[in-house]
Amino acid sequence: MVLQWAGQGIPSPVRPICDLRVLDHFIMEARDTETALRGCKAGCGVTGTFVVPLTNVDFLVWETKDVSTCLQAVEVQSGLSLLGQALGAVGESLSNAVMQSLITNNKSNIRSLGQVLHSLHIKGVSIHAAPAGGGTATRKVSSLSELLSVHINFLRGKVRLLLKNAPVCQQSSP
Amino acid sequence: EKKMTNDHLKKLLVYCMLCCTQKIIVQGAQTFQTKVALLRHVEPNNPKCFAEGIRDLTCFWEEDEERAGSAKQYSFIYTYQNENSSECNVTALPAAGGRILYFCRLSQTQLFVPLDIQVFRDGLLIHNRRLHIELFFLLDPPVNLTVKRTEKQGQLKASWMPPPLKYLDDSMMYEVSYVIAGTQMGQVEEVRASSEVILLGLQPGAKYSVRIRVKLDGVSYNGYWSAWTDPVLMATLPGDLDPLIVSLTLIISLILTLLSLTVLLSHRRFLLNKIWPVIPNPESKFQGLFTVYGGDFEEWLGYSAGGLCLRPAYFYSEELPAPLEVLSEVSLDLPSSPLPPKAKQAPGEDEKLKRIDSLMERWRETPHEHWLMDQLRVLHQLPGPQCSQLESQDAYVTLNAQNHSGEEPLDDILEETLPLQALFASGRTCSESHSDLGSLQQSSGSGRLSTQSSFEYPNHTWPPKGPGYTYMAVADSGVSMDYSPMSSSRIDYMGKGVIYTNEYRNEIPAHRQPIPFAF
Repeated sequence: MVLQWAGQGIPSPVRPICDLRVLDHFIMEARDTETALRGCKAGCGVTGTFVVPLTNVDFLVWETKDVSTCLQAVEVQSGLSLLGQALGAVGESLSNAVMQSLITNNKSNIRSLGQVLHSLHIKGVSIHAAPAGGGTATRKVSSLSELLSVHINFLRGKVRLLLKNAPVCQQSSP
Repeated sequence: EKKMTNDHLKKLLVYCMLCCTQKIIVQGAQTFQTKVALLRHVEPNNPKCFAEGIRDLTCFWEEDEERAGSAKQYSFIYTYQNENSSECNVTALPAAGGRILYFCRLSQTQLFVPLDIQVFRDGLLIHNRRLHIELFFLLDPPVNLTVKRTEKQGQLKASWMPPPLKYLDDSMMYEVSYVIAGTQMGQVEEVRASSEVILLGLQPGAKYSVRIRVKLDGVSYNGYWSAWTDPVLMATLPGDLDPLIVSLTLIISLILTLLSLTVLLSHRRFLLNKIWPVIPNPESKFQGLFTVYGGDFEEWLGYSAGGLCLRPAYFYSEELPAPLEVLSEVSLDLPSSPLPPKAKQAPGEDEKLKRIDSLMERWRETPHEHWLMDQLRVLHQLPGPQCSQLESQDAYVTLNAQNHSGEEPLDDILEETLPLQALFASGRTCSESHSDLGSLQQSSGSGRLSTQSSFEYPNHTWPPKGPGYTYMAVADSGVSMDYSPMSSSRIDYMGKGVIYTNEYRNEIPAHRQPIPFAF
């Protein structure tokens, strides 16, 4: 009874994760996957079209969005969702076990980034995954190498800029 | 007046702005030339592109003056992924080595997306390249590099201002180079995501030259190493003596000192003899000289000053004369000549003669010795060579036959059968040469003690002693006495007989007194 009563209480707020070394680690693993793909013939047999977010960052435009951080957060969250879906579809069609393991790891990292994003308590970021492509500019890719390239650039660019400049992290840093 | 003042102020402001702009342009140009020079060496591809910030991109290439054309002949086309192409205006500048530098600068860029660049010359594609701008940063060197001493020895603290780039400050890495000023001995330290570092392990009291450069860390952003900053000199704190080193030094010094003392003490006598050699004490050679006569040599000798030269051999000899072994005893006629009358003696030497007599009495144990003493008395009265520079080295003993009067051939002469005779030269002058060997001899009668002081003449031939004299040289080396036959003036005499020599060991019998006179 005590546990039920405790479980029904207000959940404690998630401590913000502001250490960018976590994101850097995910970026390194994504680059390792791209490197491993070069040894795979014919794109490891992956075929199909994948919807991916745009990765380009124009700081003049990006900083205008900074005025309302939620736009950046929504864009990042949506893009992570798209990448997660794409990597999931790739993993099912891969024949190479090694590549399949790496892709699975990358997909897991994207889910972790979602949790990190949620910990920052940015407006517009919900615990649930944002609808894919909702209001976010997207494009289509037809190869695993392009998908992985988009994956890396998205993490290095928009995701990192958002995490670095999150208001809660700015307050805690000296 | 107000308008004129305002006009003056405006002119002054414009002039200042122009000066500042010109200064900035000059500095920018210098910076640009520096970066171009850097990339010329590290980037093999063309066009060579670099980003100085998060919003710009500069690309350049070089052409030989012969093939180069005007800037208008070139087209710089760039295309972002999934976007339309754009064109950048090309500018030409003279470069080193007679080349022409063409470059294009974009003032608005997109990162984290592929960028395609194409360069055309008169419509012909000469360069084509794809790159991500966030991976081609070439930053300005850090500014305000400061080096300070810490409280600890062998340390310096370096701090600097990172390039003022938003979003990139936590992605920068630095390389700190510190060398001892004037040398090439130094190290390079890598620093990530920090704008200060403490340099450890430096030499105390040394002057270090510190410089730094910057680069993106390669995770999200990458690029080239920037140019080095101007070096900053700083000396470390002078070194204190390490207590451990001091204690070890003291212990080792103590151990070495103890070892040295031990060696010195074990060899102290040897070292003392070397440093302060003992002054030879002649007391052992002159028994009784100091204990009995108080150092009065004359008294010890018992001679007057004039009589010293009569016994030069003894005076200069290093060793006490050893008693001679009497090989044979032959009854001899006592000399008829008695002792010279005392009237002939010098008045002042009466006491000395008495002492001599007293000493001689000790020798009057046998008739032969009594006869010997008589001979000595005679000897004392005879004038001798006045020479004080002679040194006696050897004692010569002559053996003569018992009968000296006739021309008797001398049969085999055995030392055991011949008595010792003393020969004293009369009227013979001493040679001035130290090497000369003179002789004091007296040949009169038979049965005389034939001895000869050890003086050499250069071409000395023994004077004829009379018939039947056989001479033997006795060399006393202090260990043994060697007898060697000497040629005589009577060769035939020598040829008829056989001279026997015996090796004599110079031993002073304990029961006998040393002979006080030299022979």
